[in-house]
Amino acid sequence: MALRLFRSSASIPGQWSQLLQNASIAPHAFLRPAISLQIPGILSDIWESVLRAVPKKKTSHMKKRHRQMAGKALKDVKNLNTCSGCGQIKRAHTLCPHCVETHPSDIFSLAVTENQILSVSGASAIKVHSTKNPDFPLVQSIDGAHRAGCHHVVTDRKGSRAVSVGFGGEILVWSCQEGTWSKDDNVPAVDGRGLSDTWAVALSEDGQYLAGVSQDGHIRVWDLNGHAEQIRDYETKGSFGTCIDLSLDGRFIASGHENGSVHIFSTESGRMPFSLSGLVKPVRAVTFSPGGKFLAAAGDSKVIVLYDTSSGEQVASLTGHSAWILSLSWSYTGEYLLSSSFDGKVKVWSIDTKTCVATHSETEKAVWSVKWLPKVGRSEGFATGGASRSISFYREATGG
Amino acid sequence: MDNTEPTPENHHQERVQKYIDDTLAGLLNAMSDANGRPSVTLRRRSGNVAFHINPNSGALETTDTGSLLTYSWPGKDCFEAWRFTITLRLLTAIADAFHAGLVVSKRDIYYSDPGCFGSQRVVDVLVDDIAYTIGVNRASLNVEAAAKGLVAGQYKLIHPSAHPTETRQYSESTLVPRIQETIEVDISDIEWILAVYRRLVGSGYHNTAAAGKGILITVSKHNPIPIPQALPSRPSSQGKGYPDYSTRAFIRKLFDAPSQSQPHRRPQFFALVDGDPDGLAILATYKYGSMAAAHENPQLNVRGLRCLGLHVSAVVAGADPCGDDALMRLTARDRKKIVTMLCRNPVFAVDGPELGWRVELQRMLMLNVKAEIEILYEREGGLEGWIDRRMEVLL
Repeated sequence: MALRLFRSSASIPGQWSQLLQNASIAPHAFLRPAISLQIPGILSDIWESVLRAVPKKKTSHMKKRHRQMAGKALKDVKNLNTCSGCGQIKRAHTLCPHCVETHPSDIFSLAVTENQILSVSGASAIKVHSTKNPDFPLVQSIDGAHRAGCHHVVTDRKGSRAVSVGFGGEILVWSCQEGTWSKDDNVPAVDGRGLSDTWAVALSEDGQYLAGVSQDGHIRVWDLNGHAEQIRDYETKGSFGTCIDLSLDGRFIASGHENGSVHIFSTESGRMPFSLSGLVKPVRAVTFSPGGKFLAAAGDSKVIVLYDTSSGEQVASLTGHSAWILSLSWSYTGEYLLSSSFDGKVKVWSIDTKTCVATHSETEKAVWSVKWLPKVGRSEGFATGGASRSISFYREATGG
Repeated sequence: MDNTEPTPENHHQERVQKYIDDTLAGLLNAMSDANGRPSVTLRRRSGNVAFHINPNSGALETTDTGSLLTYSWPGKDCFEAWRFTITLRLLTAIADAFHAGLVVSKRDIYYSDPGCFGSQRVVDVLVDDIAYTIGVNRASLNVEAAAKGLVAGQYKLIHPSAHPTETRQYSESTLVPRIQETIEVDISDIEWILAVYRRLVGSGYHNTAAAGKGILITVSKHNPIPIPQALPSRPSSQGKGYPDYSTRAFIRKLFDAPSQSQPHRRPQFFALVDGDPDGLAILATYKYGSMAAAHENPQLNVRGLRCLGLHVSAVVAGADPCGDDALMRLTARDRKKIVTMLCRNPVFAVDGPELGWRVELQRMLMLNVKAEIEILYEREGGLEGWIDRRMEVLL
């Protein structure tokens, strides 16, 4: 690597390369001092270490054992139990990969309520798992909900209403009665205008307002308690709207677009209070912090950008992902931000220190959606779903 | 031929002969009669019907019996008169070809009077309708599409019915040969067969591949035969590499060919398509058949075909820091096409046979990107190197 870099910098076409060749009369004699004197800028810092690099010593068994006894080695996976469904060994707090083939297809979106998690996939069913029980049993499967598959599902805070969007373009509203979901017949079909090309949706905290961003960049808001009328229509520059979020207090709507722009609208005035700098590449996730102080946006640029929602200033950028970022979720206290990427990495970021405090890489397949679970006691946890086709649950005692 | 048993082919020819004679005689009678109303009735496949995949043959099929259309002369409007005219012209062309024992192409029919037919597509649809009405396949009408496919690789065609048995060996790049039911093919030394729509033929990859000798079948974007001079060239809307009848029939023949030397070992069948909705639709056409000509699918589908690439998700995962530009945004047409495929084609249904392809389509929608084979040129070893590595995994 180092040598190639040097060579490419030396091979200036034409006269210069010839001059260089003529200059090096006895290449072997002073090749090394010549290099140590004329090192290109990038290499100068690491050149010493490149020269000094030697193979690492093989770790002896005794050394490994000492480390293990001292509690420093890779730990054995001991949190195993038997699956109550099929009786095979599985890791505790994860769904059994053998019997709970959660979805026969990629899971594209997750939504959580107080004690349930809804998941949608490329198959036609919406699956509901309980999060109260440590085994996360399947409590309901709404079969045939979206024939062409479903890419977005959202719920309100208290878990009484859910909205799902299918690949066929249809938007379905669901209501929950004592833990069982059914199609909400009280809500008439969401107003037809611009409906079929609505891509991402978000529900307000009380479930009254549904916001959606469309493929032609329009942001629309419907009142589900009324007659599902369209009450707002904001126009942006016409770039594909990939993601949308409503702030918890319902004052702001944020949307991310394929051309990299991020827009914030005030729901009261219907205006953009300020324009955001945006990203260079497509944005794939936007989310407001629970307090509404920050807006996080991420996408193909592999960077998470934090904006201050009072000024629109970019306050931080979190780097560390090496693939497209697909999903973001804020913990309920606002302390941590969760992100997932196309290479299967899930990262937890501390907002105080603006650093990554944990990286999970259980899978190499894309993780399409991550969501924090509501806090139970002192422990916080989250769920991930993606191309591995099962939902994984994590309990985060401490970061690390 | 007179004292042989009626083979299916002979039987078909009798039916075609009878249909043409009856129709033309009926028209002549009606014209000579003062009160006659000359008319011709065609059975047409309806547009909106349910398809399913036959578990035995693995082919896309439909239970549709079609609807009847009658065109009469002079008809109630200009359109009907035109339809009547072109139907008559087409029947005449078929009758001519039939009596002379020649094979005409749909191109030839169209270019015999482009002004009258209007577009190539009109001819294509009408020929299919006539074949469907008689209940035979198009080859029995002595009409075929101008071959779009090119074959490179070594194979032998054996005509056992000819006296003496005629064997022809091919090794250079040629047009897809016309496949009759009596022909046998011999592909003894072949390890793989790859259908691809970009030109790989010039590189001689079929001889140099790491996986051994193979046959390359290219459905080129442009017609290999130049259109007659002095006629305006029309951009073809079908120029995306969808395989035509003769190409599919040839691949099916190769697939059914018994291997003489090693009966237990068969060559592997692959297809390399773009990572876009058309690519997957082409793949489905090879493996399960087309929705437009569902009645022919059981004779044409290739069950053992496997997809070599290109998977959008693999491209995205492997995209190097500056390589995102290789991916392209989906157009509105692409997105619409994917949704139609997901909703209508049983190949991509949730209980269908190809869940992987379904997810691939959905991932395209999620990411809003597609990939073309061209991006492989810049990978290590170029396109050939990439195919070598993929085949090593799959063989």
